[in-house]
Amino acid sequence: MKRWLAALAAAMLCGCTAVAPYQRGYLARDDMAFDPSPGMSRALEKVYSAKEAASGGASVGGGGCGCN
Amino acid sequence: MTAALALPIAAIPARAVAAEANEMGFTVLGYKEKGLMKITEPVIWAHGTIQDVWEVEASAAVDIISGASPQLVTNVSGRPVNSISSASITDRRNTADAKVTRRFGDFALSVSRAISDENDYNSRAFGLGAEWSLNQRNTTLAAGYGKSNDRVGSRNDPTLHERRDTKEYLVGITQVVSPVAIVQSTVTRAEGRGWYNDPYKLTFTFFETGIPLLLPDTRPDHRDTLTWLTRYRRHFPEVRGTLQVDYRYYRDDWGIRAHTLEAAWEQAFGERWSVRPALRYYTQEAADFYSPVATNPPPAILSSDQRLGAWGGLSPSLRVTRRFERGIAIEGTLGYVHNARDLRFGGSGSPAFETLRAVYGIVGVRYPF
Repeated sequence: MKRWLAALAAAMLCGCTAVAPYQRGYLARDDMAFDPSPGMSRALEKVYSAKEAASGGASVGGGGCGCN
Repeated sequence: MTAALALPIAAIPARAVAAEANEMGFTVLGYKEKGLMKITEPVIWAHGTIQDVWEVEASAAVDIISGASPQLVTNVSGRPVNSISSASITDRRNTADAKVTRRFGDFALSVSRAISDENDYNSRAFGLGAEWSLNQRNTTLAAGYGKSNDRVGSRNDPTLHERRDTKEYLVGITQVVSPVAIVQSTVTRAEGRGWYNDPYKLTFTFFETGIPLLLPDTRPDHRDTLTWLTRYRRHFPEVRGTLQVDYRYYRDDWGIRAHTLEAAWEQAFGERWSVRPALRYYTQEAADFYSPVATNPPPAILSSDQRLGAWGGLSPSLRVTRRFERGIAIEGTLGYVHNARDLRFGGSGSPAFETLRAVYGIVGVRYPF
C-alpha cells in the first residue's frame, strides 16, 4: 500500500507542466472543480453513505450520525 | 451506526483556481427507496472572503427521514430474509458546520466545527487543517486532523447512553498536471473507539433442533479505517467537455474492503447550459462478523445488517446546470441506485442481501454576492 502511494505521489509530481497563472483559465471552470457545489456534494454523500460501509475520504472533522 | 458521515468541510482544495469570492446556495434532496425509506434534506450553505486573507464557510441542513427499516433478519422460512418493521419511523436530524481559514501567502491554516443532533444520536466534532502551495501554486499539500465525540441512544431504550470517539488524520496533494488537467489524492485514517452496535437490529435464527436464538446486533468496540481518494479532471477545449473520474479505496479492521469508481462527462452547450451524465460503481466485502444467521452457541460479536455484507451497486445519474448572469446557477440532478449481491466485483455477494432500489432528485441554486 505504501509503495503504491509513494509511486502515485512521484508520478503526480514529476512529468507535470508548470502552469503559469495566466494559463489557468480552463482550470477555473466549474466542471474542473472537485467540489463546485457544497450543497450538491453533501446531498450525494447522504444518498450513498447511509447504505454503504465505506464513507468519507475528502475531509475530516465532519462528525457522525445514526444513519448507518 | 458506524463510521462518521464526513460533511463537506474540505481539508483539501476544492478548486485549483479560486472561484467566486462570496457565494451562497440552497439545495434540496429528495430520496426514495422502493418499499423502505424516504429522505428529504434541505441544505443552506455559504462561503466568503474577508480582506483577502480570511475565508469563512458554513452550512446547515435538516434530514427528515421516514418510512420502514429492516429490523430483523430471520430464517424462519428456511432461508434468512429481512423482516421489515410494520411501524413506520420518522426521524429528524439537524446539522450545522463552520470553517474559518486564514491565509499567510502560500500557507493557510483552518479550524472547523460541526454539530449534529437527532433524537438518538448526537455528534460534536472539530477539525484543524493546513495547506501549503508551492511550485507557483501548481502543487498544494494538505494535512488535517479531526476529532468527533458522539453520543448514542435508542428510541426503544431510554436507558441507552453510550459514547463513540473518533480521531481522523488526513494528508493530501493537489497537482496541476497541465493547463487542462488536475489531479488530487488524499489518504485519511480514522481511529474509532466506543459503541458501534445498532440498537434497532436483531438476528432471529431457528435451528433444526432446540430453541431459536434472538440476538441483538453486536459489533466490535473499535473501528480503524483507511481511505484513499483520488480525483482527476481533464478538460477538452475542442469539444467543450470535461472528463471527471473519482476512485476511492476503503478498508477497515472489521474486514471490510470497498472500492468506489465514478466517471462523468460534463458537456457544455453554449455559455449557459451544461449536461453531466455519470455512472458510479461500488463494491464491498463483508465484515468479518457479518452473518444473516447465528450459530449455537452464539458468537461474541454478530451483525446481520446487510449494509455490512458483500454486495455491489450501480448508480447512474444525470445533472443539468443552467447559468445566468452574475454567476447565478441552477442545477438539478436525477439519479438511480441499484444495490445487489450479484453486482459485487468478482462474483456473488452475501446470499441474504436483498436488492435495494432507490431514486433521488437534487435541486440547487448558487448565488454569488
